[in-house]
Amino acid sequence: MNGFLKLAITNLKRHKTRSILAMFGIAASVTVLFSILSFNRGFNRELAKELARTGIHFMVVPSGCPHEVASLVLHGAVVPKFLDISVMERIKKSKDIEVATPILVAQLPNPEKGRIDLVYGIEMEALAILKPSWRIDGRIPSSDDEIILGFEVARHHGIRVGDYLSYPHLGVKFKVAGIVKVTGTQDDAFVYMPIKTVQVLLKRPSGATAIGVKVKRPELLQTIVDELSEKIPGIQIVTMNDVMNRISNLAASAKVLSLSIAMVTIFISAVGVMNSILMTVFERTKEIGMMRAIGASRTDIFRIILMESTFLTLLGGIIGILLSVVGNDAIEAFTRKIMPYVPGGEIVSFEPGLALMSLSFAFVIGILAGLYPAWKASKINPIEAIKG
Amino acid sequence: MIQLRGIEKIYKRGSEYVHALRGIDLEISKGEFVSIVGPSGAGKTTLLHILGCLDTPTRGEIKIDNRAVNLMTESELVLFRRKKIGLIFQQFYLIPGLSIYDNVALPLLFSRTRVEREHVLSLIELVGLKERVNHTPAQLSGGEMQRVAIARALVNKPEIILADEPTGNLDTENSERIFELLRKLNKNGFTVVMVTHNNDLASRADRVIRLRDGRIQHL
Repeated sequence: MNGFLKLAITNLKRHKTRSILAMFGIAASVTVLFSILSFNRGFNRELAKELARTGIHFMVVPSGCPHEVASLVLHGAVVPKFLDISVMERIKKSKDIEVATPILVAQLPNPEKGRIDLVYGIEMEALAILKPSWRIDGRIPSSDDEIILGFEVARHHGIRVGDYLSYPHLGVKFKVAGIVKVTGTQDDAFVYMPIKTVQVLLKRPSGATAIGVKVKRPELLQTIVDELSEKIPGIQIVTMNDVMNRISNLAASAKVLSLSIAMVTIFISAVGVMNSILMTVFERTKEIGMMRAIGASRTDIFRIILMESTFLTLLGGIIGILLSVVGNDAIEAFTRKIMPYVPGGEIVSFEPGLALMSLSFAFVIGILAGLYPAWKASKINPIEAIKG
Repeated sequence: MIQLRGIEKIYKRGSEYVHALRGIDLEISKGEFVSIVGPSGAGKTTLLHILGCLDTPTRGEIKIDNRAVNLMTESELVLFRRKKIGLIFQQFYLIPGLSIYDNVALPLLFSRTRVEREHVLSLIELVGLKERVNHTPAQLSGGEMQRVAIARALVNKPEIILADEPTGNLDTENSERIFELLRKLNKNGFTVVMVTHNNDLASRADRVIRLRDGRIQHL
């Protein structure tokens, strides 16, 4: 081992309690920092995945608060406003559109099973094009009295392909043509029904919550969106990018707040490290004087003290990252509880890049916290060792 | 070997100026064993600082091996100290967490010299602590700690050994052993300068230098 490092570690060991306390301060703040960074990274990643899996480039919704509608459609809530179906025909006229399908999201109480089903009404032909990534047990429904279930719904109801799902109070029952294998997204939670059937059930013969559109050439998206909004009155267009930006902006402002808290904890723990190192420097005045007298240069002393503080913070950093890895699940569960929208899938996962970044951060903190004590120590005069 | 001409040292303590040395002329030849005695405040420690290249004089010149130490910069002093001078302190100053071996090898770390295990071990053997190489200072007696410190002072192969009250914290028996060790080193060719309160030991050196009020007393 490098002799200077050995000396630095030996010095830290001489004040175990003090060193450990200072180190845990750093560990705690690195835990906070690393968790926030991991969460944010994972949040955006999972959000992008989730939006990509909807298979839709943009949604046409009634004028109003477009983002509210968009996120409701994403997560399945009843939208109070309906879109005029004539809009549909006008959109379909555009040659750049690959698929345009009305979507009608509704909640159907299912008293028999004691829950409310989220029903996603959509044209079944469109479903095949919009969800190419789905792996299906069974097939996509081919008639109006057939449905396809998301994985979670099927599991909850204990239903298998070929079984029936009935809504007795509405006097209807459907044959389950297929079950989507687990996707880890919101898709797992829906009952997919031909839109005509949903329109009948809701007594809105031509109603739709939104129109989902997939374009032929995604690079032309903005042009198409601009054209459509100009031509058709009374609608708003929300692209999936808009939704993503809006949600991640929301998450970003939460990030700014939590990062500022992390910064404060880091500052406090850095001061703790500085204080601890400074104390050992003062206590060792004579010993440092001795080292100067037996041949240590100012730089040597500076280096030893700086090594002490960086070793302390690096070790704290490693412990902090371990703590945050261990606490991953708790952190994720907690954020799911307090955040209004969190995409499905595993959000907080260990990313080596971020771990390295947090460690470098701890290293820099160590240097910054060590600079002043190291400078103080390097100023100690060798005659301190021999004082009459 | 060591030449001092009109050495004066004035330093500030609080608001007053202390005239610690008031014109010291002194020559110490190679291979000599010199002891420095005198009452507290006579300037012994200050003289040792200057001899040890830990401090420079306010006035006057000091030459060691014909090199003008009083003209050296801070970094030159560090290099010179490493090469020429081995220091022994009253309080030993061993590093508590390090083994005896590592304590003795410590100056090599600062002089960026590769540690030759045989060399370090031979020094530990020289001071009679061969069996305690892997012990820590806390496991040693005062006399043993001072012997470790002497081995440490020798590791960079200096020419001059400067000892500040080396027996000040030791009982008679251990004092005697330390003195004999210094005597032995002197016989092996080292120039030894020892500051002490112990008149008995001092008188057994080749030459005794008595300081009073910052000057050498010539009897």
